[in-house]
Amino acid sequence: MNAAAAPMPAAAGGSFGAGFAWAFSRDLTLSLRHPGEALLVVAFFVLVATLFPLGVGADPQLLARIGPGVIWVCALLAAFLSLPGLFAGDYADGTLEQMTLSPHPMPGWVAGKIAAHWVASGLPLTVLSPLLGLQYGLDAQTLGTLVLALLLGTPTLSLLGAACSALALGARGSGVLLALLALPLFVPVLIFGAGAAEAQAASLSPTPHLSLLGAGLILATMGLPFAACTAIRIALD
Amino acid sequence: MDHNYFLMMSYGMTALAIGAELVLLRIGRSRALKHIEEERDLETQD
Amino acid sequence: MNFYYFSSPSTFYRLAGKLAPWFFALALVSGIAGMYSGFVVAPTDAQQGEVYRVIFIHVPAAWMSMFTYFVMACYGAVSLTFNTRLAAMMARALAPTGAMFTFVALWTGAFWGRPTWGAYWVWDARLTSELVLLFLYIGFMALANSFEDARRGDRAAALLALIGLVNLPIIYFSVQWWNTLHQGSSVSFKGTSMHVAMLWAMLLMMFSFWMYAIGVALVRCRTIILERERRTQWVRSLT
Repeated sequence: MNAAAAPMPAAAGGSFGAGFAWAFSRDLTLSLRHPGEALLVVAFFVLVATLFPLGVGADPQLLARIGPGVIWVCALLAAFLSLPGLFAGDYADGTLEQMTLSPHPMPGWVAGKIAAHWVASGLPLTVLSPLLGLQYGLDAQTLGTLVLALLLGTPTLSLLGAACSALALGARGSGVLLALLALPLFVPVLIFGAGAAEAQAASLSPTPHLSLLGAGLILATMGLPFAACTAIRIALD
Repeated sequence: MDHNYFLMMSYGMTALAIGAELVLLRIGRSRALKHIEEERDLETQD
Repeated sequence: MNFYYFSSPSTFYRLAGKLAPWFFALALVSGIAGMYSGFVVAPTDAQQGEVYRVIFIHVPAAWMSMFTYFVMACYGAVSLTFNTRLAAMMARALAPTGAMFTFVALWTGAFWGRPTWGAYWVWDARLTSELVLLFLYIGFMALANSFEDARRGDRAAALLALIGLVNLPIIYFSVQWWNTLHQGSSVSFKGTSMHVAMLWAMLLMMFSFWMYAIGVALVRCRTIILERERRTQWVRSLT
């Protein structure tokens, strides 16, 4: 699983950027080596979003109403499903412990892993969302707002999910526990994200929602990598 | 449904919740004391 | 004065045992006074009739649900920063009470909402955030108990509590940020539009819940200390 690991530099100094780049490229390479797992997340997202119109019936007004919400819920579930693989594999075979010994500052490579997670799950979702939105009959402006909202929100989901995943490392019943921890924290992102698209659809301004999503992303980016590092250290003690 | 029903349900559930919490507090304490006894007995067995 | 004297479980155990009854007594007295003010003195509301009296439970419970979470997170922060056991035990002691208050706030809110708004539940911002708070408490308790090593559970749960702190401003300000069904706050530092007996009843009940929460947390913490320190000499000598 870690055959793709580049050798750690023996130099005494390490940097955030180098650590980030190393972890990012490693995790991305690993997920590309097993495309099935990464694509599963995306396929799940597309499937579920496609199932809803079949289930609720083809009333265009109803679909347009629920479209943003459904797509967002699918994004949440897809983000959640890919969480266990973030740290658990490395934790199980001791790689995580080795990585904490790296000269690169820990938040750097943790952020790199989270970024790779987002590129493999959140980014494809964001790119595919216009197609799915068309299924729900959303108009162009709403689609644009939806994409923007997902772009701001899915990294936050990855960051929140990573912190929860690190907290639950090696816990009993970690699957359900992870859901219990992550989904409540996802809810504000869902509310603002779906709310942005719904506001646009109702010809109201989505700016407040998008601003809050952006603010949330900034807060998450500044704080959660450190939280995840602390959680990993707690897990490794 | 007159308003008394809603008042009763609200205050009643609150009383129930507080009561349950206090009962569970007692149960927790007696279980802790029991665990201490068991540990002591386990050790004196050796 | 040595501030660290009471950070040892054994001394705290004795202190908590002596203090708890006083807090319960305060809770009882202020609760009775609050109920008296709320039901005997306060008049019937012009619009809502008698059912508005749910406010004397609902608002104190909602306030306590948030305040308890905040205190719990503070204890969590202390336990992580100083690596102490007792602060973590206090955080664990507070969680069930906080969850109880959150549940009571949601329940009484539903039974107040039905006759006034027409619905037991609406998915508006404040109610949803309060529900999220309930799940945060449950998540805290679940995480704390998911590990063989209690200290690992302590630390993980403390970190979770800190991450979840962001939910509190969302609950608090949600009524301002969104046009929601839930009414805005009627009490502020500038003054209030409430009838004075209603205000007193609400404040007394808030105080009563606060004293109750401290009392329960102290008692529960004592039990947690007994469980965790059961292999020590001083605990053995208690029974």
